[in-house]
Amino acid sequence: MIEPTLALYGDAFERVDQHLEELLTATGVRYCLLVDRKGFVLSHKEALWAPRPPALDSVATLVASNAAATAALANMLGERTFSEQTHQGENGTLYVESVGTEALLTLIFDGSVPLGRVKVHTKKVIARLADILQELQDAPPVQLGDDFSTGATALLDDLFG
Amino acid sequence: MSTINFAAREINCKIVYYGPGMSGKTTNLKHVFSKVPAGLRGEMVSLATEDERTLFFDFLPLDLGSVQGFKTRFHLYTVPGQVFYNASRKLILRGVDGIVFVADSAPNRLRANAESMRNLRENLAEYGIDVRDVPIVLQVNKRDIEGALPTEMIRAVIDPKKELTFFEATAHNGGGVFETLKTVSRLVLDRLSKNK
Repeated sequence: MIEPTLALYGDAFERVDQHLEELLTATGVRYCLLVDRKGFVLSHKEALWAPRPPALDSVATLVASNAAATAALANMLGERTFSEQTHQGENGTLYVESVGTEALLTLIFDGSVPLGRVKVHTKKVIARLADILQELQDAPPVQLGDDFSTGATALLDDLFG
Repeated sequence: MSTINFAAREINCKIVYYGPGMSGKTTNLKHVFSKVPAGLRGEMVSLATEDERTLFFDFLPLDLGSVQGFKTRFHLYTVPGQVFYNASRKLILRGVDGIVFVADSAPNRLRANAESMRNLRENLAEYGIDVRDVPIVLQVNKRDIEGALPTEMIRAVIDPKKELTFFEATAHNGGGVFETLKTVSRLVLDRLSKNK
């Protein structure tokens, strides 16, 4: 295994969800995603008024890859890491900040939202999210069992022939 | 290892297509994209150069369906094969759950195949992992080209102990593409169920 398992469940998941919801309200951003370093969406929230979101799998993959490339650049320049990334366009902004070593908090918003406000609120939430993800490191290993394997094989047969 | 989200009932697995430049990694993904029903696949993302060589990666999310109530999803990636893009290859390997090594049957690519496998071993080792700890399927591609090398010759340089499951393929017309993907998927899910 290259990466440890990230298994979000129960109370931890609900707390992550709650923090993202609060962040969404406090900042006024459109979309708020917690993405793991492999590029998988762990949790996401969107404003009620926001238009249909872009393909979240693709967003998460590109955000994680971009963060990995940025971290590699940081190392080459003698930095441990660059902890945040901001990409500003004509109409919208993508803001990404590390949550410990495991995840990335990603916010997408339009020009009506000041970047400073987003940064202030994000930094508060990140410490709490990092604590929750740290707790998950001590969670018991996942057990799926042989039934899972049998069911998965049947699906593979259906899909791939 | 796979990311499991119990609350959302999702399991995500990362499969990476590795191999020398021009061996057909992107072609494999394009075929999967073209044949899998739209409802089961997401957008294909390709970060390529102007001449369509993979610059960073190609990406295709694929829904398998629900297994024991868990929505099971594969994220398929290719890496750039060209030697000078090793930094990108290493980044894409992060968190890999399974690998398809796509070898090229062209007579002048035997050394490139061997070097790519060595590069895979080295990149995995930098993450502290032995190549034998990751499910790998060998796909010997371009079997239809003139002068294609014998499969045994290619295996001799990539997999001399014959430890890997291998398939012959002609990815440009879909030959062997799904057999390869199905096998690596099964290996990944087997490991997941055994909690390895």
